Amino acid sequence: MTRTAPAPTRRPASTRGGPVRQGPGHRRAAWAAWGFLVPITAYLLAFYAYPMYRNLELSLRHYTVRSFVQGDAPFTGFANYLKVLTDATFVPALWHTVVFTVVSLAFQFTLGLGLALFFARHFPLSATLRALFLVPWLLPLIVSASTWAWMLNSDSGVINAALGAIGAGPVNWLTSPDWSLWSVTIANIWIGVPFNLVVLYSGLQAISPAVYEAAALDGATGWQRFRHVTLPLLRPVSAITLLLGLVYTLKVFDIIWIMTKGGPSGSSTTLSTWSYRLGFGNLVPAFGPGAAVGNILIAIALAFGLLYIRLQRRQDPS
Amino acid sequence: MSASTTAGSPRRTLGAGLALLAAGCLAACSATPTPQAADTPADTPAGGGTYTVWDPYPQYDKTSDWVKLLDTCGTQAGVTIERTGHDTSDLTNKALLAAQQGNPPDVLVVDNPVVSTLAEAGVLTTTAENKLDTSAISPNLIAAGQSGGNTYGVPIGANTLALYYNKAVLDQAGVDIATVKDWATLTAALEKVKAAGKKGITFSAIGTEEGSFQFLPWFWGSGAQLTKLDSAEGVSAVTLWTDWLKKGLAPNSVINNTQTTSWQEFAGGDYAFAENGTWQLANAKETGFEYGIIPVPARDGGTAAAPTGGEFVSIPVQQDTARYATSQKLVTCLTSTDNSLTTVTALSYIAPTEQVQTRQSTDNPELAVWVEAVKAAKGRTGDDLGTKYPKISEPLWGAVQAALSGAKDPQQAMTDAQTAAASATQ
Amino acid sequence: MTTPRRWWKTIIGLALTGVMLFPVYWMINVSFTRDRDMRKSPPSWFPADPTLDGYRAVIDQQLPYLGTSLLVGLGTVALTLVIAAPAAYSLARLRPRGGTALSFALLIAQMIPGIIMAMGLYATYLNLGVLNTLPGLIVADTTLAVPFAVLILTTFMTGIPRELLHAARVDGAGTVRTFWSIVLPVSRNATVTVALFTFLWAWSDFIYASTLDSGGDHQPITLGIYHYIGNNNQQWNAIMATAVVASIPATALLVVAQRYVTAGVTAGAVKD
Repeated sequence: MTRTAPAPTRRPASTRGGPVRQGPGHRRAAWAAWGFLVPITAYLLAFYAYPMYRNLELSLRHYTVRSFVQGDAPFTGFANYLKVLTDATFVPALWHTVVFTVVSLAFQFTLGLGLALFFARHFPLSATLRALFLVPWLLPLIVSASTWAWMLNSDSGVINAALGAIGAGPVNWLTSPDWSLWSVTIANIWIGVPFNLVVLYSGLQAISPAVYEAAALDGATGWQRFRHVTLPLLRPVSAITLLLGLVYTLKVFDIIWIMTKGGPSGSSTTLSTWSYRLGFGNLVPAFGPGAAVGNILIAIALAFGLLYIRLQRRQDPS
Repeated sequence: MSASTTAGSPRRTLGAGLALLAAGCLAACSATPTPQAADTPADTPAGGGTYTVWDPYPQYDKTSDWVKLLDTCGTQAGVTIERTGHDTSDLTNKALLAAQQGNPPDVLVVDNPVVSTLAEAGVLTTTAENKLDTSAISPNLIAAGQSGGNTYGVPIGANTLALYYNKAVLDQAGVDIATVKDWATLTAALEKVKAAGKKGITFSAIGTEEGSFQFLPWFWGSGAQLTKLDSAEGVSAVTLWTDWLKKGLAPNSVINNTQTTSWQEFAGGDYAFAENGTWQLANAKETGFEYGIIPVPARDGGTAAAPTGGEFVSIPVQQDTARYATSQKLVTCLTSTDNSLTTVTALSYIAPTEQVQTRQSTDNPELAVWVEAVKAAKGRTGDDLGTKYPKISEPLWGAVQAALSGAKDPQQAMTDAQTAAASATQ
Repeated sequence: MTTPRRWWKTIIGLALTGVMLFPVYWMINVSFTRDRDMRKSPPSWFPADPTLDGYRAVIDQQLPYLGTSLLVGLGTVALTLVIAAPAAYSLARLRPRGGTALSFALLIAQMIPGIIMAMGLYATYLNLGVLNTLPGLIVADTTLAVPFAVLILTTFMTGIPRELLHAARVDGAGTVRTFWSIVLPVSRNATVTVALFTFLWAWSDFIYASTLDSGGDHQPITLGIYHYIGNNNQQWNAIMATAVVASIPATALLVVAQRYVTAGVTAGAVKD
């Protein structure tokens, strides 16, 4: 219904377009609004526009190491894109990206939400323990990912030792094509849980206790309160957490790169590790195809971003 | 109706986004060609001033022998040295980026297989331009720095691979190291070790250049050539490793092992053999057990050629060509016969010249076996491969990984690798 | 709620934290392990023959880096909030034309691979002459957090009750005063959360530090790890020890900061 409302009530989405339709008071408000946005706009232009442009430009030219240095690479249009889309690595890498992202997000979010609800019931040491959950984020990824590789080592890893202790056979976590993708996914879930926990916890704290009191007066059970009060009120925070989680997971390459280099035999190669391997993981860098794969990832994120904005609009018809 | 109204907004959103991008390009693109700021050290005129040196030895800090040697050479040339140690895997990209921005270091120390790539990029000067003297360098070592009839640097030192063995483990298994002469006798020794309850051999088959580096002695030792990966010889080398894994003579973890990880396994004291490099000599003394070193055997006996490791010192192209004279003094200081011994000792390498190699062997008899190994070693980018080597090496390590992990059988893995290499190098 | 039940939850909480931090424990374990025991099979669950070699190396070489990391972390937090908070307020409550496009640009900005960002910044910094400087590194580290900060703060500021802002306007407060005296204090939870992550990203950043500050006189502790990564060899006990030493002061900061995330900030403000 609201979507068919006349144009002026919808939030305009473009800086371009006709003159401001509202009165002079509105115009002053618009100036104030943009006043607050000046720093961020300048910042975006200064720091992101150039790398973004650079990534686009790299993907549209045929770069060799020589033309990279001399700056005279010929423009080749979408040749690099065609090259990576028809490469035998593309389809498996895309599939691995989907599995890695979906499984990571599902577990990170569910575990994060469960923990947030748990920690929301204040108990002795709860704040301290919640803070300790963030410790993995203090470690440079090279350390945390190496530690995971250490624990998952086929021969001297502690996980296989533990499996042995309970009578299960060893698993070649990182060296078997059947397991490598699961291993890096597990490590990535571990990295992502604290993020979900902390953001969702703040989201829970923003829900007014009065709402719960009202629900309790209505005789709602714990589950009903969660289902009909917590979840709907947490939806905006959940949506942004999932969206950011998606962007970060699509982008993950260091964990996989450090743990398996995308192997063995490409079995844990995602689009982002492939992009890195093409552009930087070899003695002879292939900047063009590497950037093309990177831009395909950006396009995927863009699609989900549009989806998010659409969903947000539907909820928020103001 | 409703679909068209909602579809309109994203498109406008996108348009605005692109407009932002374009504006950003205008700002950033016009900023790029600006000449370097005057305070950039590389701009100071020759004669005195600061000279920048980049090396791949971030583990050496200001108190290390290597950095002290750099400073000494700087003092002799009458300049101050500003040295930065970069991670090896970063250094190629940084060197390319710095050259693109017109701000290369004066002296660049890089891993030898990278030299031909940087030379092709036009980043490095030839010895004809920079007047470096390379006449004393062993031909098998300088080869990695040569392409198209030009020489692009001087090896600062060399290292290579051999087999370390644990004497106690072999004694316990009743293996006489003198009987290990070819692949068959080596495998027999590994089987005896396993039967005695110990572990066979460990190496690194990781999916990076390190994996190819470790595989090459076996590949070359089979008689195979890098130009034909799927030859019967090449397949036999992959089969050798694959069978070791299948029979439990080598651990499954080798698929993901770096050379450090593989060394740590050997240092645990359970393994009979480990394929590793010159640089582990110091660590070998700390393991607490008696060890020995033999060259990697070729398939039918004799010594297999191992690849040369180690870095080249080179002088990147500068706008101000007057700087070359001082850079040349610095490089000569680091590599001249008198200082070379100090340099290679500081880096724990084998010298690139026969004269200094002989001195190393006499000063430290333990190094004799490594000096011999380096003499028998072969550059990876040699055989006129040059910049083709990296494009062959990637399918090669991929094939080894595929075979070892069971994703493909050795023949299939090498056939696929040859197809990939052929299409990449055509 | 009786006291025993609360402690029961604490025990579950401890167990969960234990599972979560097991890899961190393993890192500590490795940091005390001798080279020869590192790949022992089966591994030791605790350092049987502990060595302090790793820590000795770290204490000798790394302590000055901690101060730099702290400075960089706090500087990044401050700059990120200064840029992000007003933007989030405007996007959440003032809703100018083009705001959605801007949010969208922020979302996409985060997708640019870190290494491409680093290369772009390297070129810019070289031309500006701010390579190897701390302010340069701080500004670079903010690029890890600013889009995140704006998007998260926007989400939370959108949830501020309308009555609250309306009341401020009735009292005659202008846009700036509303932002400063109402919106910011009410958004304390979100601000602390954003500050925490910003700090964490800056603290654990490796790629910007190594690209933009590898020749600097003041380096963050992540670069200290390079002391133990040779071109052929890595000293893992020292690498892990560096990470442990680096984590201790930062963990203390996290524990303190988390106490400021509390329930009812918004609710309390409405009642006032």
